[in-house]
Amino acid sequence: MTDIITVKNLVEVYSDGTKAVDDITFNVEEGEFFGFLGPNGAGKSTTIKILTTLLKKTSGTVSIGGFDVDKQAPEIRKIIGVQSQETSIDGDLTGRENITLQGHYHQMDSGDIKKRVNELIALVGLEAAADRRARNYSGGMKKRLDLATSLVHKPKMLFLDEPTTGLDPQSRSTIWSYLEKLNKEEEITIFLTTQYLEEADKLCKRLSIIDVGKIVASGSPVELKREIGADSIRISLENCQRDNNKAKELIRTLTGVNEIIDSEECITVYAKNAGLLIADIVRALDSTDIRIGSVIFSSPSLDDVFMKHTGKRIRSEELVKAPSAMWGGARR
Amino acid sequence: MTLLSDTRYIFIRYLTKLVRTPILLFFSLFQPILFLVLFTQLLGKLSSFPGVLPTGVAYLEFAAAGIVMQNAFGSALQSGNSIVADIDSGYLQKMLVTPVSRPAILLGRLASDAFRVVVQTAIILGLGYALGVAENKPFYVTTGVVGILLIFFTLAFFGLAWSGISLALGMKTRSSETVFAIGGVITFPLLFLSPALFPLSFLPGWVQTVSMFNPVSYCVTATRALMINGYQWSTILPAWGVIGLVALITMSATLYQFRKVVS
Repeated sequence: MTDIITVKNLVEVYSDGTKAVDDITFNVEEGEFFGFLGPNGAGKSTTIKILTTLLKKTSGTVSIGGFDVDKQAPEIRKIIGVQSQETSIDGDLTGRENITLQGHYHQMDSGDIKKRVNELIALVGLEAAADRRARNYSGGMKKRLDLATSLVHKPKMLFLDEPTTGLDPQSRSTIWSYLEKLNKEEEITIFLTTQYLEEADKLCKRLSIIDVGKIVASGSPVELKREIGADSIRISLENCQRDNNKAKELIRTLTGVNEIIDSEECITVYAKNAGLLIADIVRALDSTDIRIGSVIFSSPSLDDVFMKHTGKRIRSEELVKAPSAMWGGARR
Repeated sequence: MTLLSDTRYIFIRYLTKLVRTPILLFFSLFQPILFLVLFTQLLGKLSSFPGVLPTGVAYLEFAAAGIVMQNAFGSALQSGNSIVADIDSGYLQKMLVTPVSRPAILLGRLASDAFRVVVQTAIILGLGYALGVAENKPFYVTTGVVGILLIFFTLAFFGLAWSGISLALGMKTRSSETVFAIGGVITFPLLFLSPALFPLSFLPGWVQTVSMFNPVSYCVTATRALMINGYQWSTILPAWGVIGLVALITMSATLYQFRKVVS
């Protein structure tokens, strides 16, 4: 597989001295679904802006589809589609007009545009609303239209800057299914940034975790989580106060247990292959008069990975920008 | 030619937006029309005082040139808001990740501004004519169709020069409030410190002096000449020169700001 994105020692220092991107190096293979996971202000948007020719880098090298981002920006613009964090569609135009105009910006042939627009409207399921003004679309519909506009010229590669931030769970999973379809069926390479753990986990074949401008870990979600080493079993007891110590003693004798700590539920057990251990634990406790309330098994999450590398949790800020606030005020 | 076709699509986009937001069109026409009706009613008697207005000229005829000028001002100053809106919504950025011709982004906007000024000028002239008929003093453009076209040209050219100010301001401040505030602050003094609505001889000495340095004075005088006197090239050509000079300055500022936004 050939690399479609190669980034080496990329640095971006803003004019006020802030180091938004601090020496990052990564590559994305053709056809890959790659992601940047990190909290707000980690440098995700800055990186996307540099990669999509919108922002000049301070130093380092970036090549997209074999083109140098400084010297061959016009070539890059022909092969990429970009969806920015803001839903940047023209509310005065209809959905169809928005996509058509974007086709003209790509200097496509009018006949080709017409065909492609119909395809895209069907792809994102906006048939019924295509000839209504986009201003009146719901937040999810606007995002879908925005996605369609960035696909009009059949880009080889799609950049998505937090494509589902501010959306309700249902709209989010709709967008997810479109993205997976695009990646699999149209073989579009996708580079996505997100602050949502589930999003990165579900969509990305490979991802980099980014914090304060640096990549702190890279790999597939499975690999990254495997690094954490241990699954967890959270056990609640009917009478936690009375049975806590006794239960811990019993569990400690079982083979494969790494660590036992007191937790919210009552006890949390960390173990390498915790799935296998559940039966042993239940059996051990059942032989006494300890009554189990519930047993919850969980594999490590990307949040645990982030925690391990940065000492912090990612707090996805569910800052829902009301659509009206995005368009209101200054729209002349 | 991608520049031309890109410009055309962007021009059509802005016109579509304008037509679909009639309230904007209404407000930008509202003020000039209000002035047209109000001033000509209030000051209609001026023509009965000898020596104030040129002989045989009704105030309506006199003021029409000033009103269309004011209209050109108003439309031009909205231009900056459109660019602020496109920056805020991320739309401009979305254009910039496509191969769309960069100059076309500005040219399309300016073309739509010019088109708008021409249409609004036509509306005002039509209304002026109707008002003249109603008062039994019909007001024609003496230079005829060619003269009207030259008036359109002068005002569109003037509008472009002024769009440059609001575009540069919009890109610099990224705030439509600022564009409106500064726009308002410069429009009215420039309009009233010129022979736009009152004959120069009617104005105090210092205003007469100031008006000599006011580009608006030259444009109003040229437009008025085309409406009332005929092809007075000695006033028309200098006016175009002055507009050209203003345009050169404001467009340089716009280009400078645009380059900063684009790169």
